[in-house]
Amino acid sequence: MKVIMSLLFFDMAFWFYLATMLLYFGYWITKREWLGQASTVLAIISTFAISMMLIYRTKEAGHAPFSNLYESMAFFVWVMSIAYLIMEFRYKIRILGVFVMAVAFIAMFATSQLSYRFQDIQPLNPALQSIWFELHVFSAFIGYAGFGIAFALAIMYLIKARFEDRKTPNVLIDRLPSSNMLDELSYKSVAWGFAFFTLGALILGAVWANKAWGTYWSWDPKETWSLITWFVYAAYLHARVTRGWRGKKAAYIAIFGFLSTIFLYWGVSFVLPGLHAYASQ
Amino acid sequence: MTASDNNLGKGIGGKIWNLFGSLKFTLFTLFSLAIVSIIGTVIQQNQPQEFYVREYGTWASLILRLGLEDMYHAPWFTVLLICLIINIIVCTIDRFPQKWKATLEGRVDVDVKFIKNLLNNHTLIINEEPQSARERVINILSKRRYRIKESNHAEGLSIYAHKGMIGRFGSDVTHISLLLILLGAIIGSIFGFKDFGAFYEGEVTTIPITDWRINIDRSFYGIPLPLIDRQKIPSDIQLKLDKFWIDYYETGQTKQYNSILTLSDGGREVIKGKQIWVNAPLHYKGITFYQSSYGIAYDRVREASFSLKDSKTQKTVVEPFMVNWNMPFHIPNINYDIKVVGFVSDFAFDATTKTIYAKSTEHNNPAIQVEIYKNGKPISRTWLFYNYADYRTIIPDTNYELVFNGYKGIVYTGLSINSDPATSIVWIGSSLMVVGFLMAFFVFHKRIWVLIRRNSSETAVHFGGMINKNKFTFEKEFLEIVDSMRDIKK
Ligand code: HEM
Repeated sequence: MKVIMSLLFFDMAFWFYLATMLLYFGYWITKREWLGQASTVLAIISTFAISMMLIYRTKEAGHAPFSNLYESMAFFVWVMSIAYLIMEFRYKIRILGVFVMAVAFIAMFATSQLSYRFQDIQPLNPALQSIWFELHVFSAFIGYAGFGIAFALAIMYLIKARFEDRKTPNVLIDRLPSSNMLDELSYKSVAWGFAFFTLGALILGAVWANKAWGTYWSWDPKETWSLITWFVYAAYLHARVTRGWRGKKAAYIAIFGFLSTIFLYWGVSFVLPGLHAYASQ
Repeated sequence: MTASDNNLGKGIGGKIWNLFGSLKFTLFTLFSLAIVSIIGTVIQQNQPQEFYVREYGTWASLILRLGLEDMYHAPWFTVLLICLIINIIVCTIDRFPQKWKATLEGRVDVDVKFIKNLLNNHTLIINEEPQSARERVINILSKRRYRIKESNHAEGLSIYAHKGMIGRFGSDVTHISLLLILLGAIIGSIFGFKDFGAFYEGEVTTIPITDWRINIDRSFYGIPLPLIDRQKIPSDIQLKLDKFWIDYYETGQTKQYNSILTLSDGGREVIKGKQIWVNAPLHYKGITFYQSSYGIAYDRVREASFSLKDSKTQKTVVEPFMVNWNMPFHIPNINYDIKVVGFVSDFAFDATTKTIYAKSTEHNNPAIQVEIYKNGKPISRTWLFYNYADYRTIIPDTNYELVFNGYKGIVYTGLSINSDPATSIVWIGSSLMVVGFLMAFFVFHKRIWVLIRRNSSETAVHFGGMINKNKFTFEKEFLEIVDSMRDIKK
């Protein structure tokens, strides 16, 4: 039997991400510096494994690895890992890894639960054979990853802000960065996410739809959910400059935004019919 | 100062102005649009009325009354969009002039108190003449590409340096780009058209276009009433499908749908044998032809297969033979001719108009209409059903029973024929939006004030800094600037 390298690397990455998540968690609890360094190293190894998975997938399939849920999830985890590592090196805050890697591992887990028919390599159907499709997915997923990181940060923000308000010391919570810092990083992630999401999901998606179907907007459920998600994050950006809406309310919007993103990504494929339904292929 | 602090906020007009200028209203509109759009994805859109009655029972009337079955064209979706547009315009008019002024005119002659109130501030005491300190500060800041203004006033020597000013206007560029996109969408929906057609190989079809025509057929109490109407009219453009085919992968999945088209305009051939496929349409004079689907004809066949049985013994007396569409065929061995004259893929009968039609384009209940001739004279015309062989068709005055065995369909290509004169506005708006994002999210307005004061033998250098967002990133740069001032060895 021929070994499918991409599946092999995916399985490896799965265990690496599990280990990475646990290690970051251990670092958070014990605050041992060597555990922190080991977590970072393992995060790099996991990212390497998922990169190899994507490279092999591209080689095996003969097209960019975005054609189904399985491939695109791996790509999502890849973008999020890279973005996280950049953030860790820039801001030197390792504790963020606990939450971000938890999101990454949950994504890996969800992907591994997909039935084999989604993991299989599919040739591209006629509509997907376009450079615009590839740019569309590539950019949209940078957006998703930004939203995913912002979601993790918003949860941390809410926890931290609650303890700061009560002024109750707590060993674990005190190790989190200040709520102001978390708020700012969360904003930055949304800003990156929003820019790439708008470019990828909405603009490049419209360019592609216009090439393939002759109309740049058709209120297809996937398109509509992209727009809904976009409205939510636009609300987040404006909440941050509105008196009475900054801070906690904004953080809740960031959480809602990511729930909307998950529905846009998974829910629409399985629940609502449409042009984009990966699941119905 | 925002709209709410404005003295406009008095009378009714001012209240409305303030409402549309407020960001809380923006949040309200954005959330409402989100919720309304969700409803549009949960309730299936643009189905026939019976569908809603079947699915939602007593709620159907409410759904139809509120227009939820065509959510994105319902009046209140439009109203929300208009609110958003007015909101953006009012907000911009309200804030922009002040923002412009405040950004352009950074205060230069600041005092110590001003600096100490800034989020980032630091004071260095150095053993250096104010003039040389000034030169070094300017040097450090201009190396970092800050723009510098100076003032010599009672408090001392002050320097105002800033960069990334355009970042402040990113939100305005974004808002304008959004208005542009919406404008393009509106123009497109008024002046463009979307059409779909099924085309058969070898056939020439005149392309219909939608155009504005002055219609004076109407009158109002005898007075002719010219109205501008949108009408579908034939154009001078004729389309011929030369060929349609499907490419498959080895696994059997569809790889590509292809059509070869020839266009003539005003009788002259302008495009000859151009191949289109999904994602590669053909453009001609603002009209675009997209490969959008294909199917088996619902109203005609290429050929059909029949055989004859003895009506009593049910034994086959004439083996199956193929008959071409609309061409008389001489049945072997007997003195009859047969002609295929009609076909529907999904047989249905309209009792009021007494017409036979295809209920759908699916081949659910194929029926074929044949004419039978004896010695060249028509003697019978009848429908045969593929699914209902029990319906016997006996050729008059014989004991031959005609059996409909099957047919070869004709493949058509489904082309979307669209025209949208405003797509370029949408694309310009989209590009501008990306520029707006780059400005708003990745360029920050960084401002630094330095006040240099001579105290007896030493010089005090007060640094103050401010950034419009991303405070933590700026902190680092600010401290670096202070440090490089400290470090220089004489
Ligand atoms: C879907 C519609 C909208 C989008 C996509 C949008 C987009 C943006 C973006 C990207 C920013 C920059 C945010 C930042 O720098 O963090 C922004 C800021 C802002 N927007 Fe909107 N906006 C929308 C609607 C509105 C409306 C209706 C108003 C009217 C009140 C408004 C008022 C503002 C204000 C006051 C700012 C911040 C001021 C500034 O930084 O100059 N926006 N908007």
